[in-house]
Amino acid sequence: MQKFIFSSLLVLGLLPNQETLAAGPDPATDSAGARRRYFQSYVGSYQPVLRDYATSPLFYGGSGLSLGIGWLKCSSNQERSFLMQLSGAFTNARAPKSDFLEAPVSGYMIQLGMRHQRLWAINRLNTGPFKVKAGGAFYSDQNFRLNTALQNNAGGLENITNLMVSGQISMDLSRKSERTINLLVVKRTLRPVQRHLRLLVNVGVLNFNYRPGYSYTFESELTGKTVSLLWILSNYKWSMNGYRLHTELEYFRQASSGNAYSWSYVWDAAHVPGRFEAMQLASHQIKYTLYFRTRK
Amino acid sequence: MAMKKFLPILLTALLGLSACEKALFKSDQASSDPFVNFDYLWQEVDKKYSYFELKNLDWQQIRTKYRSRLSSSTTEEELFNVLGGMINELRDDHSNLNAPFNFSRYNLPLKSKPNFNWRTIEEHYLPNIWYTGAFAHDFLDSGRVGYIRYGSFLSNFSEAELNFVLNRYANTKGLILDLRSNGGGSVFNVMPILGRFVEAPVAAGYFITRNGPKHTDFGPRETYQITPTPGTRYNKKVMVLMDRGSYSATTLFALGTKALPNVVLVGDTTGGGGGLPNGGQLPNGWSYRFSVSQLLDLNGDNYAEEGVPPDIYATFDWSDLSKDEILERALLELK
Repeated sequence: MQKFIFSSLLVLGLLPNQETLAAGPDPATDSAGARRRYFQSYVGSYQPVLRDYATSPLFYGGSGLSLGIGWLKCSSNQERSFLMQLSGAFTNARAPKSDFLEAPVSGYMIQLGMRHQRLWAINRLNTGPFKVKAGGAFYSDQNFRLNTALQNNAGGLENITNLMVSGQISMDLSRKSERTINLLVVKRTLRPVQRHLRLLVNVGVLNFNYRPGYSYTFESELTGKTVSLLWILSNYKWSMNGYRLHTELEYFRQASSGNAYSWSYVWDAAHVPGRFEAMQLASHQIKYTLYFRTRK
Repeated sequence: MAMKKFLPILLTALLGLSACEKALFKSDQASSDPFVNFDYLWQEVDKKYSYFELKNLDWQQIRTKYRSRLSSSTTEEELFNVLGGMINELRDDHSNLNAPFNFSRYNLPLKSKPNFNWRTIEEHYLPNIWYTGAFAHDFLDSGRVGYIRYGSFLSNFSEAELNFVLNRYANTKGLILDLRSNGGGSVFNVMPILGRFVEAPVAAGYFITRNGPKHTDFGPRETYQITPTPGTRYNKKVMVLMDRGSYSATTLFALGTKALPNVVLVGDTTGGGGGLPNGGQLPNGWSYRFSVSQLLDLNGDNYAEEGVPPDIYATFDWSDLSKDEILERALLELK
């Protein structure tokens, strides 16, 4: 295990050296290749699917909303971003139909997440409009779940934290010069615009999770601990196991003001074995992000 | 041209990854199959229930007995009866099956004689009861004793309400706290009351929780500690009335009093229910719960699951409803 951690850290540590391979302009940067800085803010739909074997063999799925803020710094050579996000959804169990009455199987979940991503261009893989970047990411999500049908196990708390390796391929879709189109009677001039399409894939290398103990509930509220969080978490354990995959497909378009917007689809899936019983969580998001260019 | 090539690749990759969700996760285990649900519940209890040894339960034999009653054509109602019957073998009111059309329970209070009649108290002892939040209370014995009835640990109360009640009886020579037929509720309401009777933290017992697949696998002992809670204190003698209807959080309360020299239990053995029940869900969506921990006294004995014995034994005589013998015995102790 120690060897695995060491080698993984080594891989992540070596990633900055890829910077030396970088070259070529990036559509998300000025033509001069200078670094651009954005404040980013998004709103999106959030559709989680989850199953916590500690309390139920059933999948819970639902719909909700996701909001986030952060920053993005990018140049032709590298990209750095930081994002804090808050997502929430009402969920329902996918239980079989009853002959009599349906079981009350609804709950809700809130996820507070933090993401830090670094990518460096790999010049040797760049061809034509395609740019390839690689790097790493740090993700940490804290889930809060409530499902009253589970009685003393109604509350669910887990932390999923991952160090990930990342690969990104982007395609420059910029219009470099003015173009006129004729639509029968309508004539329209299209101005130059910077835009690109990118696919980002993050794969967990070091996958940590903080999950309840063997029996889930624990009577520590009567053991003299006066801080609620201490007794809630007193039987929780950190583990390093499982996997996590994260993909994003983003269409990015920059306005003449330097600000930009994007539409993206995000898919995230994590399998969290913990020490005793596994939890599985996937989510689908469609996000609309505004990027406001800043000086610093 | 490049766009035409790139887009299909991107979309295929994305759709492929999204579909991976189904490939990555184990298949959907939702099922209304009676055998699947039976086995799931049996295994969960086997893995986590905490009192197999104390109750001398042969869980394998119980499986054989109840599983043989199932067939592939078993209806939901029949399945409920089989699963509810199996879980009632645990002889534990913390063990229940909850289907949308019924709720199974062992019903411990019906297994013994009741020792509490509220009308007797109202009619013959406290003609002018005060109600403050969750507490019914008044003076007894010409103002020398305070009586407080707390009927359920499900009923929350504020610090100010309890202050008011204890301040009212501050000048009495003793208190009677009536917890008979208090079936329990929230353990969060135990400490705010017990904490008024101590000036420093007191160890009252231990908890151990299942932490492995063997019936004897338990984690380390966690101390059950009574800590002083803010507000008015009462340091004089307190008589706590109990009976077999005093269950769960009330049993926890009763065990706690054993560590407090100024508190005396009067009445019958409590109903028990020392384990903390967890909760879960079956593949058909029904929910269940059962105890996963044990409550131990300071000697490490786990008898509290079946009841905490009184310090002074007394029973209610139902042939004369004008008199509460348990209350009278407590009053006698305070003379």
